[in-house]
Amino acid sequence: MLSRRDAIRGLTFTFGVAATGFAGRAMAAAPALGWTPTALTPDQARLVDVVAELIIPKTDTPGAREAGVPQFVDRALADYYNKAQADRLRAGLARMDADARAAHGDVFVALTPEQQIELLNGYDREAAAAQGHTAGEPHFFPLLEDLVTVGYFTSEPGATVALSYDPVPGAYHGCVPLAELGRGWATR
Amino acid sequence: MANLNGRARQENTYDAIVVGSGITGGWAAKELTQKGLKTLVLERGPMVRHLEDYPTATMDPWQTKYPQGQLPSDELNAKYPVQKRTGYTLTEYTRHFFVRDDQNPYTEESRYDWIRGYHVGGRSLTWGRQSYRHSPIDFEANAREGIGVDWPIRYEELAPWYDHVERFIGVSGQAEGLPHLPDGQYQPPMEMNCVEKAFKAKSEARFPERRITMGRTAHLTDPTEEQLALGRTKCQYRNMCIRGCPFGGYYSSNSGGLVAAERTGNLVIRPGSIVTSLIYDEKAGKATGVRILDATTRQEEEFYADVVFLCASAFNSAWIMMNSTSSRFPNGFGNGSDQLGRNVMDHHLGVGASGEAPEFADMYYSGRRPNGIYVPRFRNLGDAATKRSDYLRGFGYQGGASRPGWDRDLTRPGQDPSGPRGFGAARKAALSQPGPWIIGLGGFGEILPYEDNRITLNRDKTDEFGLPTLSMNVTIRENELAMRRDMQTAAAEMLEAAGFKNVEGRDGGYAPGLGIHEMGTARMGRDPKTSVLNAHNQVHECKNVYVTDGAAMTSASCVNPSLTYMALTARAADHAVQARKRGDL
Repeated sequence: MLSRRDAIRGLTFTFGVAATGFAGRAMAAAPALGWTPTALTPDQARLVDVVAELIIPKTDTPGAREAGVPQFVDRALADYYNKAQADRLRAGLARMDADARAAHGDVFVALTPEQQIELLNGYDREAAAAQGHTAGEPHFFPLLEDLVTVGYFTSEPGATVALSYDPVPGAYHGCVPLAELGRGWATR
Repeated sequence: MANLNGRARQENTYDAIVVGSGITGGWAAKELTQKGLKTLVLERGPMVRHLEDYPTATMDPWQTKYPQGQLPSDELNAKYPVQKRTGYTLTEYTRHFFVRDDQNPYTEESRYDWIRGYHVGGRSLTWGRQSYRHSPIDFEANAREGIGVDWPIRYEELAPWYDHVERFIGVSGQAEGLPHLPDGQYQPPMEMNCVEKAFKAKSEARFPERRITMGRTAHLTDPTEEQLALGRTKCQYRNMCIRGCPFGGYYSSNSGGLVAAERTGNLVIRPGSIVTSLIYDEKAGKATGVRILDATTRQEEEFYADVVFLCASAFNSAWIMMNSTSSRFPNGFGNGSDQLGRNVMDHHLGVGASGEAPEFADMYYSGRRPNGIYVPRFRNLGDAATKRSDYLRGFGYQGGASRPGWDRDLTRPGQDPSGPRGFGAARKAALSQPGPWIIGLGGFGEILPYEDNRITLNRDKTDEFGLPTLSMNVTIRENELAMRRDMQTAAAEMLEAAGFKNVEGRDGGYAPGLGIHEMGTARMGRDPKTSVLNAHNQVHECKNVYVTDGAAMTSASCVNPSLTYMALTARAADHAVQARKRGDL
């Protein structure tokens, strides 16, 4: 289970980003892509890059960006999603920019981290409220968050640094203090 | 190509032919070759060599093409509309070990989930590996209750063959001294985790007749010299068995029976050989071999032998027999009883209970144990205390406790939200830790043999080779439904008794076939008028044809069947070798 100490450390880090002056209404807030998207447009890819890092930020372990999650999302759109899923995700990305413009006059990646987080919190609440209702399309935010989460924890940094990965355990020990292991296992 | 003459015929002649290379074909091949018979194994699918042909066995999670190795939904729907019904078998890691449904059609008069793999080794590569003996009451039940027909053998006749099979394949497990779940030749059992140990202690205190033991599984925990010499080593607790094991840690035909058979020098395996029928010699009154269709060249060919073992899986062995008509057998080979294709059984599952164990939050485990706990049948054991008035037979539970991983809060259809999930560092930190302990029990119930639960040959619908296909008409009845209610209630009772939290019983539904234990389509029996096979798995009406896969089962028991199939096969092979020596075939 998440300890209080970890939770607090996580929170501090999230809000610490803004406090260190990283914020600003500049495209420079999103680093240039070091890769060429195939299914996403360059603008969509920059947006996915920023949102993925907000969903799984760098802490004492690598974040989504370092783990190659934006590329993973691009590949999923190209090879894995069917048209309905891909349309839903692309519509979600378009909506994020539209909402950013309406609220703050610029695209999502140009907003301050606080503004970005506020928008994502809105989507998260909206998605929770919509779940369980059968009518209507599933909300795009859990779709995106799931994809980012899967991309991260199945990446090499996610599986081996944020989690523990042992390809050949060799033995099973059924009762080990969690404190000795520290983290969850990457695979079951 | 019709009859071959002279040298060509000689080249296609063996002492024995085994049709199929899965869990029973591998055993027939091993036993027959080790007893000196030149044996041809015919397999309809491609070759899978141990170690060489497990392309995904050592793939890491980040090496998949698709997220978590899940296939795109459009591809699943187009190519695997049946295979995907299990929900767990068909992934990027495993798809080469399952058939494409679009290429292997059949007709569902009622829903039937026919899960299968066509390749050398068959489902012995992807099986669940749980290995339990049928008990004396399993062999006696039909006669005692007047259900179906009596098994022509009793437990004592099969016991030495169970010993023989367990010693060779290697089964890890705990001896329990229960008459209704006989002990075998076991390597050391795997370990229970903290929550399972607590469950055993508390539930057994309340329900002493409901024994909780470690799953008996065909994994090596202390390999024998014989197993090591075959190139197998002990289980490494990777739990990636379904991809093929690079350590030979679990038993498959590919790592065991076929390797032993090959080493005798008496084995020939011919992949890509679809056996279409048995060749029957009316004058001699016996089978002389089989006809095949070469899957690549689409040419017909014939192979000849003194004895034929059908080990093609319950439905495909029955299919070959139904498709083998002659003036002697107008309704299918050896089908004077009209029982061929009838009495289809499976194990019904998908019902049980689960709970949480928050008091163990500071404990975890290491290694991925490819096994769980087992609760042997505790109903209708022949005494008043266990007698149920609402159904016959019984069920066992398989289950276990574990802590869910990082993927525990991914969106799943039907999952109830408990509010926003959040995102960012706090969620990342939480998912980097294991989730709360969950313990679950899932029942495996016996299905009775019903004559009208049957498969039939459909000559109007053919496959890509122009061969007739099967039609399925199988349902569960009131006995199974009543048992399911008890399966759910009793599981919840046990978890409650152990003090677990949020205990919930659940019936997730079951469709015939989902147990992937199809059996009964050419049952053994004492009387040729009411059964297809005799006490030695010989076709009553043609003694040099043996059927030793799931087709032979007279009743289903509630335990996983592969161990029994293997024991029946080894016993039948011994009989065939002796009978051939005596000139009785």
